[in-house]
Amino acid sequence: MDYDWNEDQQAIGEAVEALCTQHAGAARAIELDAKSSWDEALDAALVESGFAGVALGAPDTGPLEAAMLVETLARHAATLPVGAQLLVAPKLSGSVQPGPVALVSLAHPGPVRFGSHARTALVDTGGDEARLVSLSPGDTEPVVSNFMLPVGRVAVHAGSGEGLGAGSGPALRAWWRVALAAELLGTMQAALDVTVDYTKRRRQFGRPIGSFQALQHRLAMCAVLVEGTRRLAFAAAAEERPEESACVAAAHAADAANLLFRETHQMTGAMGFTREHDLHVFSMRLQALRLELGGASAHRRAIAATRWARGS
Amino acid sequence: MEFDWSDGDLAYRRELRAFLETELPANWKEMTADGPGSDAQAAFSREFCGRLAEKGWLTQMWPAEYGGADATPWRHAILSEEMWRVGEPRGSQYMNVNWIGPTIMKYGSEEQKAHHLPLISKGDVLWCQGFSEPEAGSDLVSLRTAARLEGDHYVVNGSKIWTSYVSGADYCFLLVRSDPESKRHKGITVLLAPMDAPGIQVREVPAVIGRRYFHELFFDDARIPASCRLGPEGEGWGVVSYALAYERVGAMRYARAALTLDSLAEAARERGLQGDPVIQEKLGAARCAVEASRQLSYRVIDLRAKGSEPTADTNIARVAGTLCENAVSDLALELFGPEALEYGQFGESYWRLAMTAGVAVGTTEINLNLIASRWLGLPRE
Repeated sequence: MDYDWNEDQQAIGEAVEALCTQHAGAARAIELDAKSSWDEALDAALVESGFAGVALGAPDTGPLEAAMLVETLARHAATLPVGAQLLVAPKLSGSVQPGPVALVSLAHPGPVRFGSHARTALVDTGGDEARLVSLSPGDTEPVVSNFMLPVGRVAVHAGSGEGLGAGSGPALRAWWRVALAAELLGTMQAALDVTVDYTKRRRQFGRPIGSFQALQHRLAMCAVLVEGTRRLAFAAAAEERPEESACVAAAHAADAANLLFRETHQMTGAMGFTREHDLHVFSMRLQALRLELGGASAHRRAIAATRWARGS
Repeated sequence: MEFDWSDGDLAYRRELRAFLETELPANWKEMTADGPGSDAQAAFSREFCGRLAEKGWLTQMWPAEYGGADATPWRHAILSEEMWRVGEPRGSQYMNVNWIGPTIMKYGSEEQKAHHLPLISKGDVLWCQGFSEPEAGSDLVSLRTAARLEGDHYVVNGSKIWTSYVSGADYCFLLVRSDPESKRHKGITVLLAPMDAPGIQVREVPAVIGRRYFHELFFDDARIPASCRLGPEGEGWGVVSYALAYERVGAMRYARAALTLDSLAEAARERGLQGDPVIQEKLGAARCAVEASRQLSYRVIDLRAKGSEPTADTNIARVAGTLCENAVSDLALELFGPEALEYGQFGESYWRLAMTAGVAVGTTEINLNLIASRWLGLPRE
C-alpha cells in the first residue's frame, strides 16, 4: 500500500507537466476551439517523448502511469482524446493507434468526442467483442458544438473493422470508464483551482468572496468529491481487470462533475460564462465527459449488475 | 502508488474473521440492537477485549515498550475495519487503544503510564470522554467546567453533556478550566478522572438513537486527586489536539456500511427488485460513497504509516465517511419501507446507528471549515 507516487512515477509526472506547460493550457485550448481543431502538435510531442506507449511499458509502466498522464493532460486542457489514446486503445489493441482515437458506443448513438478528425475508432457493440476500425476521411463528419472539444459523427456499425477477441467488449467498457474518471478528475481539479483562485481575489462587500462560509463549505465539499474521484480512479487503474472499480470510479466522477460545474459557475458569476475567463474550457468539457457511456445513471446500474448480479 | 495488501495483512484479516466467528455470542445481534453504549455491550467488551489482548491484537499498534507489537497503522486499520464491520465488539475500548493510551504515553507521568497502560492492554477498563458541555459543542474551547486546586485535590464544578459509553465507565478523560480568568485555548487542563470520585453524578439523556447513548455528568465539588492531571496545568489544549488527531480516523465506519449495503442488495433480490433500475441506481450510488470513504480513509492511514503530521486529508475522509453512511442508511429505510418501523429491524438498526455520522467526533461543518482553510487556503471570515 502506498498512496503517493514513487520516484519513477513522479519523474514521469514531472516530465509530462513540463511538456504541458510548453504545449497545452487553457489559452491553447481556446485557440484550437476557435478553429474546431485538435492538437496535432501536442499529439506529436507525446509520441516523440515516448509517452504514447506508457500503458504498454510493463514492467516499468502500465495503465496506472497512463492514468496519471491522462489526469495531468486533462488538467492542462489538452485538446486530445487523452484517455482513448494513452490508456484505452493501447490496452485493448496492444499497440499505440494513430490519433485522434474516437470511442464509440453503439448503445449511445450520436456525435462523439474527436469524431470530427478521428483516424481510429474503438467500437463497443454492446456485446462480448469490441472492434477496432481504421477510419478514412469519408467516415467522419464534424458537428458544431459548444463544449470546448471537437465533436463529430463516425460512420461505424457492429461489423466495422476487426474484432479484438472474446472479452474485449467488457474490457473496452471498463478501461473506457477508468480513462473517463481520470479525465474528469484532471478537468474537475482545474475547474476547482481556477474557481478557488477567483474567490480569493474577487472582492465584494469589502472582502474576498472566498472568505464567506456560504461559499467555503461548498468549495470544501467539491474538494471532498475531487479527492474521492482521485483515489477511486487510480485504484481502478491499478487493477489488472477493473470491473466494478471502473464503474465506481466513473459514476463517482460523473456525479461530482455536475456538482463541480454548477458550483464553479455559481461562484464565478457572470465572468465564468465568458470566453475571457478560463473556467469555461474545463466546465464545458465536464458536461461532455459526464454524458459518455450513458452517464452516472448507467455507471451506477453497472455497479449493481457487476457486484450483486450473482445468483439473481 | 500501489494498492496491494501484503500476504501477511491478508492472512491477518482471515485470522480475525475466523476469531470473530468463534468469539461472538449467539445472541450478538440482539446485544447490539441498542447501540454500542448499552449495558450489555459494555459488559461484553470486557470479556471480548480480554481475549483480543490474549491474542496480542488489542494494542498491537502500540510501541513494544508499552506492551504493544509496533504493528503498522495498516494492520491496526484492518483490525478496526473487521471490528466495525460486525458492530464493534470492543465497545468503547477502541478509544482506549486509539487515542487515550497514546495520549497518556505522550503526556503521562511515569506513575500514570504504569497504572493506566497495563489496564488498557488487558482489555478490562472502560473510559468515557468528557468534552462537550451545554455551552461548548463545536466551539469546544468555550468550556466552563471549573477545577480549582485545593491541597492535593482538584475540586471540580460544572457539567458535561452528550457523553457516550458511561455505562460501567471506570475513568473519564475530562477537560476542565483550571484558571477561572482564562479564555479560549488557554487555561484548559486534562484530568484522568476516576468515575467513582465523590461528587460525580450521572444522568442518562434519553435519545432516539439508542439506549444509554447520551449522558450528562454533573460535578458538584467533585474531588479529583491532583495526581490525575495529564500534562501541565493550563496547557490541556495541546493534549486535546494531540488526542483528537488520533481520534478522528479511529472508527472505520464504512466497513459496517459496506457489509450492510451487501445485505441490502440481497434483501432487494429477495423482494424481486434486483432488476429495478431505481433500486440499482441507489445501490450503485451508495457503493460509490462507500468506496470513496474507504479509499480516502486509506489515504489517512498511508500518511500515518509514513509518520506525516495530521493534514486536512483527515477532514476530507471524515466528510466522505458521513456521505457514505447517509447514502447507505437512506436506502436501508427506503428498501424495507413500513417494515423498518419496527425497533431493531435490520434497516432501522443500521439507519439509527448511522444517524449521528455528521455530528459525532466533530461536525461536518467543522470539517468543512478545516478543509476550506487548510486544503483550499481560503481566507478566514
